[in-house]
Amino acid sequence: MTLRECYDALEGSYDEVVSRLRSERLIQKFVLKFLDDGSFALLEASMASGSREEAFRAAHTIKGMCQNLSFTRLGNTADEVTEALRNSWPDNAGELMEKIRRDYELTAGAIRRFREEQGL
Amino acid sequence: MAGRDKLKILIVDDSEMNRSILADMLGDEYDILEAEDGVQAVGILSRKSSELALVLLDIVMPRLDGFGVLAAMNQNGWITDVPVIMVSAESGSKQVERAYELGVTDFIMRPFDALIVRRRVVNTILLYAKQKRLIGMVEDQIYEKEHQSTLMIDILSHVVEFRNGESGLHILHVRTLTDLLLGFLTAKTDKYQLSPGEISMISTASALHDIGKIAIDDAILNKPGKLTNEEFAVMKTHTTVGAEMLADAVPDYISQEELARMRESAAAGEKPSAARQGTGGELVWKAYEICRWHHERWDGRGYPDGLRGDQIPIAAQVVALADVYDALTSTRVYKPPFSHETAVEMILDGQCGAFNPLLLECLRDNSEQIRTALQGDVAEELRQRNLRTISDEALRGEGGAVSQRTLRLLDYERMKYHFFAAMSEEVQFEYTAASDMVTLSSYGSKLLGLEEIFMDPKNNRGLIKLMGEEGIETVVGKARSTSPDKPDSTTELVLHLPEEDRWFRVITRTVWSGDTPPKYMGLLGKAIDIHNEKLKLHELEKKASLDPLTGLLNRASAREQIEDRMLIRPEGHFALAEIDIDNFKSINDRLGHIFGDRVLQELAARMKHSVRSSDICCRAGGEEFFIFLDYNTEIERTVERIHRSLCFELEGQKVTVSMGVALGTDVGLSYEALYRGADLALYRAKNTGKNKFCFFNQAMLEKGEII
Repeated sequence: MTLRECYDALEGSYDEVVSRLRSERLIQKFVLKFLDDGSFALLEASMASGSREEAFRAAHTIKGMCQNLSFTRLGNTADEVTEALRNSWPDNAGELMEKIRRDYELTAGAIRRFREEQGL
Repeated sequence: MAGRDKLKILIVDDSEMNRSILADMLGDEYDILEAEDGVQAVGILSRKSSELALVLLDIVMPRLDGFGVLAAMNQNGWITDVPVIMVSAESGSKQVERAYELGVTDFIMRPFDALIVRRRVVNTILLYAKQKRLIGMVEDQIYEKEHQSTLMIDILSHVVEFRNGESGLHILHVRTLTDLLLGFLTAKTDKYQLSPGEISMISTASALHDIGKIAIDDAILNKPGKLTNEEFAVMKTHTTVGAEMLADAVPDYISQEELARMRESAAAGEKPSAARQGTGGELVWKAYEICRWHHERWDGRGYPDGLRGDQIPIAAQVVALADVYDALTSTRVYKPPFSHETAVEMILDGQCGAFNPLLLECLRDNSEQIRTALQGDVAEELRQRNLRTISDEALRGEGGAVSQRTLRLLDYERMKYHFFAAMSEEVQFEYTAASDMVTLSSYGSKLLGLEEIFMDPKNNRGLIKLMGEEGIETVVGKARSTSPDKPDSTTELVLHLPEEDRWFRVITRTVWSGDTPPKYMGLLGKAIDIHNEKLKLHELEKKASLDPLTGLLNRASAREQIEDRMLIRPEGHFALAEIDIDNFKSINDRLGHIFGDRVLQELAARMKHSVRSSDICCRAGGEEFFIFLDYNTEIERTVERIHRSLCFELEGQKVTVSMGVALGTDVGLSYEALYRGADLALYRAKNTGKNKFCFFNQAMLEKGEII
């Protein structure tokens, strides 16, 4: 699996990220780093405990990372969650969480496969 | 310093990945500091704001967000020195607006583009560096100018420009043209006998030609249309008003009588007296001439005095021509600018007033040179103009002038000092020799019951009561015997506080002047309450004198106390009883050391109980103890009682002791003698069946029972 294939699998835009970051080495480094980031765990925890502001910040951070890495699919969902949490607790919190969890797993799963196949 | 230091950039973002992407994009050219929330960022800024070249700041962060950081930067004035680029995925225009209001220089939107990030960072840093350099330049200029007297002229003339709404270049053009025309004039004729110094002085003074306009009502001064007769009459007064302002404003340079005399002699076509030449008065006089008479006409139809021909001082004649020329070639509210050629033509044609024919010739003959000289001026003038704008800001205390910053820092330090002095429970003081004055921190003043500020400390009743004259003498004496290399001294003494006496340590730093030899300027100091420390020390000293297992005195300290006791009361009756546990080795071997230790402790406890508290109990080592008694009568019964109480049973184990007792009356009042006597007696007790006591007698010595 190449980095481009990894991007295809997680429904991101490889061309876009290359045009911005300009170095495949850097992109790979940050893509792998994504797995270590605790924001998603924080989002799950704060959604579970009903702590809106913390959940908002976590979703916001995920959105920012996705934008930087051109993880289009997860980024869009994170954007949706961020906006839903911005001012009040959303009625469909459970649904949103399920959606972002699915997209996060898709993304993280693709990166893990990439890491294994590359033997990194 | 080896090489150039890298510029420091602070990246503030709660996502480690975002920080690391930015850091990687900026590469190795910068020294990157990171903060993961606003609180950390403010912490770093408060320590290093002066070192930072740039802050990249995220908006949404836990604890303190980006706006919070900006607010802190504004509050502390860091925002004027450290540029901030806001980094955000937030694109709401309200957010952007608010950030700009708080002093953000630029924005970087997520997702990051490596090229854009790098370019923005470089641009922002360059822009700030340039501003800082300019501020430095302007400061140099101001400093320089303060030493020439032209600063005043620049400021005053600039005030006029500001009020007139004229082109800022007007003053400069008039000055340049005046200089040129005077040069041409002296080349053409020696009628006016102008030295290069005088020419330069007239050019400088020309800047003030319209200074009287600051007294003219704005509505008239900047009226776009034609002035009415009344309005024009007011406008005309700017000549006389300006001249009087100069005469009044600088009375040191020119007295009213001299002024009157000069006015008369000028009207009579004479040069000012030689005595005035080369002094500051001459510059003011030139400015006076120019202000008052730059609207006079060669034909006598000008104002305010209607002077005619060479009655008008040459300085005013030249400035009048320069003024008209620049007015023609500049844009005014009521007209577009004329070309150089047209302007010269109009002047020569007499459309704009009547001038000295010699001057008109100069203008005509050197028209081309004047045109190029004024054009060539423009770039230089623009530069100066730019500088002036900044210097104006600096003078108004805006634009982050460094002197303001320094003041602010000083202010901050002072505030910090007072704050900490007030908060710290410390007695801090300062003595200034020149005024013989002591200043105390407010805590110190409260604690010590002294005024915060008092004079003549050596005779201050409160201070004498507190420290004693001797105490003051000691502290001051020590402080004065220090040197500039080692200015600190320490004294420990008891201070008599209003409530109680307490031990203090007074630390002083003497302030020596930089003279040779250095002069005593005063001292700074603080007094620290070390009472508890002292008590602890006593405690420690006591501990060191005790046997740790039994809590009895050890041999060395017991001996000291015994000797003291005998020294103080040589008439007393003293006895020393040496005590040894019978068969202690066997108890230890059979029942173990721990049990052995408990036997020792039990014995010690019984010893203390069996004597008065003033008697001295000691563990001399191993299973050997002694008691020093001060007895009145019947020492034998006392010793018997003690012996009885020192024999006991501990967990079924019988413990007995042997005792040897020596009396001071028998052996003499010396520790050595008592101990040797008691030891001999103990030897006897041990050798005669143990579990008993013996008194020393001379026979023991004779029998040679010496160990």
